[in-house]
Amino acid sequence: MSLPQSLQTSVTPPELELIASQQLIEIIPLIAMEKTAFISGAFGPLQPPRKAQIPLWMAINLKLKKKCHIVAPEWLSVEFLQSRLDEEVSDLGFSMLPFRYAEISKVLLDVAPDDIQNIDKIRSLLKDLREARQAKSREGLDQLNREELSLSNLCSMEINEIRPFFVHAMGILTHLHRDASTEDQL
Amino acid sequence: MDNDYFSIDAILAENQKVQCKFKQKIPEMGHLGGGSERDIIPLSKRQIPIWLAYIIIYSDWADFDIPQPFSNKVRNALRAEPRSVRLSNLVGAGSGWYAFGKTIMDMLGDEQGIEMSEMLVSTFKGRLVDVIDQAQHFAALGPVGGGSGGVDSAPQMFREGLDTTERELFILAQDSARRMKRWFEEGSTGAKRVL
Repeated sequence: MSLPQSLQTSVTPPELELIASQQLIEIIPLIAMEKTAFISGAFGPLQPPRKAQIPLWMAINLKLKKKCHIVAPEWLSVEFLQSRLDEEVSDLGFSMLPFRYAEISKVLLDVAPDDIQNIDKIRSLLKDLREARQAKSREGLDQLNREELSLSNLCSMEINEIRPFFVHAMGILTHLHRDASTEDQL
Repeated sequence: MDNDYFSIDAILAENQKVQCKFKQKIPEMGHLGGGSERDIIPLSKRQIPIWLAYIIIYSDWADFDIPQPFSNKVRNALRAEPRSVRLSNLVGAGSGWYAFGKTIMDMLGDEQGIEMSEMLVSTFKGRLVDVIDQAQHFAALGPVGGGSGGVDSAPQMFREGLDTTERELFILAQDSARRMKRWFEEGSTGAKRVL
């Protein structure tokens, strides 16, 4: 294959962002639009000031043209993130977070800072969460064995980050292992 | 790194030499060890590369000793502190300590083989965390920063002592960390983001 080795086993972050942008999000439109057919489905109609659900990519587009306001998803709030952070710090496992929280939060914080409450606090909470989870996955390296690895509640960006070298390291461990019964006697 | 005929890593690893003691007389093969005799006499020692030694040992024409990179002295040093041993010094450039160890392990009988496998596995796991840590640290410094004055010498020595397989892992981890970092800092609107 002509891809560099690190890309052969993982996806790039912008690609993950693209996939995450297909999720539906609620907006308050400022313009009217009829029910329109797109490749991925039909969305609309947009009737201000009623709330509507549209995919994230469309919401970003409208927001950049100042044609809507984005309603923050319920997990992007100080209470939710703070409670998850406390759970993260006190428990051994990973806490439950929306699977694509990293991508969606990054995009929303960039594009719609005025639609989100307490945005600085949320930014610092997200950063703390990310660092806490990274520290935990590094501890999980110690238990690496060649058979299986289960890290539950890990989110898409984190999985993508550790996949290349975790898989390679497990492969090496498999090669280095020696079974008593299957080798021929010389 | 398998018993894969075409694996480059396996070919490089099998190029390492082991010390063999011949049990039988072999006519006209004295040139193998670089000596000047015409024949190999019984109980003489030669350094033979593994790809050749495998057949010689399998056909019971010679015995071999465990080579120096896996001697007891090295084993004890590894058991004490896996991260302090410079694996790249033990086998020279281009080949891997782990790969070499695997070829030797394949030739040994069960008991020694399992002992050797445990040594290889525990060394690998002991060094793995440091490899990953350093890779992520270097992702942050950027492509020019490595090895310059601000870094202290112990991590640098560790990096220089990495085996080829560990170097591959280092590059993998560094690449993915660097990509993540770049993605985080780039704004969705294309502008540089302040975090």
